[in-house]
Amino acid sequence: MLQGMFKKTYTLIGEVHQVQQARKAPEGEKPVVPEGMWKKCNQCGRPIYAEDVRQQFYICPKCHAYFRVPARKRLEQVLDPDSFVEFNETMPFVNPLDFPNYEKKVEAARERTGLDEAVVTGKGTIEGMPAVIGVCDSRFLMSSMGHNVGEKIALAVEYATKEKLPVILFACSGGARMQEGLVSLMQMAKTAAALKRHHEAGLLYVSVLTDPTTGGVTASFAMLGDIILAEPGALIGFAGPRVIEQTIGQKLPEGFQRAEFLLEHGFVDRIVSRPKMREELAKILRFHEKPDWRRIFLPPGTDERSKAHPEDVGAKPEGEKRSAWDIVTLSRSPKRPVASDYIHALFPDFYELHGDRYFKDDGAVIAGLATFCPKGKEEGIPVTVIGQEKGRSAKENQLRNFGMPSPDGYRKALRLMKQAEKFGRPILCFVDTPGAFCGMEAEERGQGEAIARNLFEMSDLKVPVLSILIGEGGSGGALALAVANEVWMMENAGYSILSPEGFASILWKDSRLAQKAAEVMKITARDLKEMGLIERIIPEEEPAEKKHVEKIARTMGEMLEQFLPRYLSLSGDELARQRYGRFRKI
Amino acid sequence: MFEKILIANRGEIAVRIIRACREMGIQTVAVYSEADREALHTMLADEAVCIGPAPSRESYLDMERILSAAVATGAQAIHPGFGFLSENAHFAALCGKCKIAFIGPDASIIEKMGNKSEARRTMMEAGVPVVPGSRTPFFDAKEALEEARKIGFPIMIKASAGGGGKGMRLSESEDDFLQNFKNAQLEAEKGFSDSAMYLERYVKNPRHIEFQILADSHGHVVHLGERDCSIQRRHQKLLEESPCSAICEELRRRMGETAVRAAKAVGYVNAGTIEFLLDQDQNFYFMEMNTRIQVEHPVTEAVTDLDLIREQIRIAAGEELSFSQEDVVIRGHAIECRINAENPEKNFMPCPGTITNVHLPGGRCVRVDTAIYSGYTVPAHYDSMLLKLIVRDKDRASAIAKMRSALGELVIEGIDTNIDFQFEILGCRDYVEGNVSTDFIPAHFSRFAEIG
Repeated sequence: MLQGMFKKTYTLIGEVHQVQQARKAPEGEKPVVPEGMWKKCNQCGRPIYAEDVRQQFYICPKCHAYFRVPARKRLEQVLDPDSFVEFNETMPFVNPLDFPNYEKKVEAARERTGLDEAVVTGKGTIEGMPAVIGVCDSRFLMSSMGHNVGEKIALAVEYATKEKLPVILFACSGGARMQEGLVSLMQMAKTAAALKRHHEAGLLYVSVLTDPTTGGVTASFAMLGDIILAEPGALIGFAGPRVIEQTIGQKLPEGFQRAEFLLEHGFVDRIVSRPKMREELAKILRFHEKPDWRRIFLPPGTDERSKAHPEDVGAKPEGEKRSAWDIVTLSRSPKRPVASDYIHALFPDFYELHGDRYFKDDGAVIAGLATFCPKGKEEGIPVTVIGQEKGRSAKENQLRNFGMPSPDGYRKALRLMKQAEKFGRPILCFVDTPGAFCGMEAEERGQGEAIARNLFEMSDLKVPVLSILIGEGGSGGALALAVANEVWMMENAGYSILSPEGFASILWKDSRLAQKAAEVMKITARDLKEMGLIERIIPEEEPAEKKHVEKIARTMGEMLEQFLPRYLSLSGDELARQRYGRFRKI
Repeated sequence: MFEKILIANRGEIAVRIIRACREMGIQTVAVYSEADREALHTMLADEAVCIGPAPSRESYLDMERILSAAVATGAQAIHPGFGFLSENAHFAALCGKCKIAFIGPDASIIEKMGNKSEARRTMMEAGVPVVPGSRTPFFDAKEALEEARKIGFPIMIKASAGGGGKGMRLSESEDDFLQNFKNAQLEAEKGFSDSAMYLERYVKNPRHIEFQILADSHGHVVHLGERDCSIQRRHQKLLEESPCSAICEELRRRMGETAVRAAKAVGYVNAGTIEFLLDQDQNFYFMEMNTRIQVEHPVTEAVTDLDLIREQIRIAAGEELSFSQEDVVIRGHAIECRINAENPEKNFMPCPGTITNVHLPGGRCVRVDTAIYSGYTVPAHYDSMLLKLIVRDKDRASAIAKMRSALGELVIEGIDTNIDFQFEILGCRDYVEGNVSTDFIPAHFSRFAEIG
């Protein structure tokens, strides 16, 4: 409407001279966008201010996509300031195949990145805790693993083994370095072997998978962590997606081989966002410091054995005596607290870990690390906590499968129990399952084998194991987490060979006689204690519901304060022998 | 002096800045969104660059596009106006990196004053009185409650990064404290991604008084007197005036000196505003510092006979202030009414739409700052302010009479506006007698009480 109707800016005659002078501004003063100030996000395509990205963990401020981080920046993000001491800053160049132009290529990468090789190794501290650390840099020949990369990692791990330090490796790689031929392939074995020795020395290795972790690196050091973390959305796999698509002649689904996919498939413990990485690494390191349990549990000058077998806190059930069928009903009640309720009440710092490292992360079993602090103490000892978890809603039960573990759940539990044994952590199991999952997939993956393997391995664990039945104790599915030094039961929990319905149907060909079956099966805590199959009963003043969790957890805590020093004072062999005897006498 | 300036804003303030530039013989570059193709600022500037779609996040807030437009057109300076990027330290810093002058203070000062807790601390150190309150930010409601008990109720809960009433709640007593704290914090997290909160004693029936500051890069700082902005609805100013009838010469001198001291304490350069709360016993407390030109700057211009935008540009070009504090004389009385496209009877709901007909008032000392014209369509994407009507006369009573006359003559057809509401305010006896405080609107317009 008014388009083109206005006159342009009018310059006063007297000022023309001034304006002309201003026009002769020196070249340097001209407005200009400095080179590299804006970068284009390769995910959302929007321009982003490069300095922002550098300061904000190399994450796109607009679409939150992750960019690859230069190794030295990664060290800055993770380590305490000025704590890093680099190992093997320079390595002589090697060219085992005399590959043409290889040296030039490496030289160019060195020039471009300011790095000597595709990995930077050294030692530093995170929140004051020392660790050996290695970080791959994708800008250097796609961080492929040649001789020098393998050598630097092996040397760093060997140093950690000698100095009894944990190792943290940030993996990122296209795989083996083609220009070095079979010598490159051998680095897989070299790094794995160095890590095996580190493992045998009982030391912690945390692997962090970043985008992309593929090929020979995935198939060696990257997948060997005691704890494996991954960055959100990172591509992780052995064969690259393009190779797979060509081989099978199919398009791969969205999200295939991404970190989230690996978590679901049991190969990653946790996905950790970049801003939280330092905090989580510190947490993990702290769980692996070995505080002296005597100082924490025993008043100075006490002999732990004098404290053995004190009067039971909750030996006597306080509630009214209920019929076995009532207890069956209560143990199955949807109002009953589930394992995670007790876990979170007892352990505010519970740090969940995932995956069986074979096939899947089973939602019916939750497991992780936690600190047990005796009442009134700031300090505690690390424990491994495992629980069979029921859902509270239809949606939750989809994830939890109604507390019926698959073989993958038992394998996750066993993996973490073996890890607890490696690091000398007591194990606490919460048992609450109608039974192991009966399904085709469960049989395909060896449900029977998984349960058997747990009984087999748990019998010989060299750390204290305690199992608490908090609800349903359904058959082999429950026993697979209950080969313990002591087994406790909540007053209204049940523990049985089979469900009363199944029992009635097998013996009397009529599942409607379940009530009668319950009475004769001897499945209540009182009965089982009388029979000597369990050690202690945790009283319930009223049938446990969510609102009682705090109080029950306090009782459990007091009982744990007796259990832990009593068993921690035994040697590993004594613990295994005690456990062997416990089942042998039955 | 700059040869060409880019105006990173829209609406009446963009037009206001373009006019100042034209008067100074400086060429102008407007930036506009797809919704503003026919906006007055787009058509009035010498050049105009479209910087993206209607949502401000993708246009008027997109730093990259604005800087590219400046570089492409060879603008040596950017005037950010108010709102949008005007108090974005990051943007100010980026301008510097691109060798473009940001017409406003240095990025570090914007950052410092934008952070409420830090601004408060700086002012306390400079001996500027502040409302008693917490010294450190709070994140936890229960911890904050303990502090609140020490400070005393009623108490204001404010987001550290807050502004415009967002992330701000009044707690009357301990009973409603936790709820209010959480609500305010939630708003703060959503609005500013910052959950740091602080507490301040609630000053009862205060006046909102702000002092206009001008500071050049040669160390000269002057104040241009005060504006009384007590007439607010939900912390949005509606009507402003200068001088404030409740302030005597002596108090003006003290407050002005304090404002100058505050500006000097942070090494301020360019135009800025120090906001104070003035209680009924004439105690005043620093509230915050605005590091930009403000909507209500014309009332100061009217009583001081200065052009603040022109001064801003001259300061940014490195020139010295051409006058000193003694040269600043407040003459007469000025009032500004903000006319918004909103319906007071419908909870002040914004009413975008096409303006079918406009009649603007005129006459001696009547000023209209606006970007509307007959046939203009008010887009729904932006602020609803349409027009500022400013009048000046020899004293407050004459100014009120003039404003009533001018408002009575102002016609905007096609959309709903708050013209009648402003007219009503000017008719309130308490307003005429100068009995105003920030509670004026809720106290006098109880029909909006349940909604406003």
